[in-house]
Amino acid sequence: MHSVEKLFIFNNEIKLEAEVFQIKKETLSCVALMCHPHPQFFRV
Amino acid sequence: MHNNVVSCVFNSFVKNDISCMRFNFRGVGNSTGNHTSGKGELSDVKACIDHLTRILHFDRIFICGYSYGAAIGCSTINYSEKIIGYCAISFPWDFMGIEYKEFSQSKSPKLFIQGDMDTVAPYENFMKHYNYYLEPKKFKIIKGANHFYQGFEDDISREVKSFYESILT
Repeated sequence: MHSVEKLFIFNNEIKLEAEVFQIKKETLSCVALMCHPHPQFFRV
Repeated sequence: MHNNVVSCVFNSFVKNDISCMRFNFRGVGNSTGNHTSGKGELSDVKACIDHLTRILHFDRIFICGYSYGAAIGCSTINYSEKIIGYCAISFPWDFMGIEYKEFSQSKSPKLFIQGDMDTVAPYENFMKHYNYYLEPKKFKIIKGANHFYQGFEDDISREVKSFYESILT
């Protein structure tokens, strides 16, 4: 059973809020990285 | 990262047991810092890519971005050899400027999704911008959709997942 994990990623002095869902497989693993729209014009 | 389009694609990946990550750019939600109109946000994406490859040990990364997130996210395509391709949903070429079009040029597989009622990333300019990109590339026009894709989230999720699976094989 896998679940979405909440974490912070550090970019120098900046702390980025993130969620990751990780499936572990023996084969080469691939992940999709999602980037949200502009925060001033969208509900993000 | 809780936008309707981002959430629908993310949840679709989770539902289908596909590893995925979403995050908030600097200055959004609980991310610290302030919005920088691009430069800082590009480094935010690169920090996430580094985390995925160095900390979580993923071997391949597929980038999916929506609107501003497409311009920023897809502009990191050449940052790492582990990035295998991208999907850009309503890439705002006219809004963001030429540099993001150049940054996102690549010989890796690319999917562009566009609504035919979109006036923020104008539909009438779509093919002009699309034709700039090298193969391999595909596009999907969502009929009746504007820039916000309300009611079309499932259509987008299906397209993104199908493309993702196609480039893995």
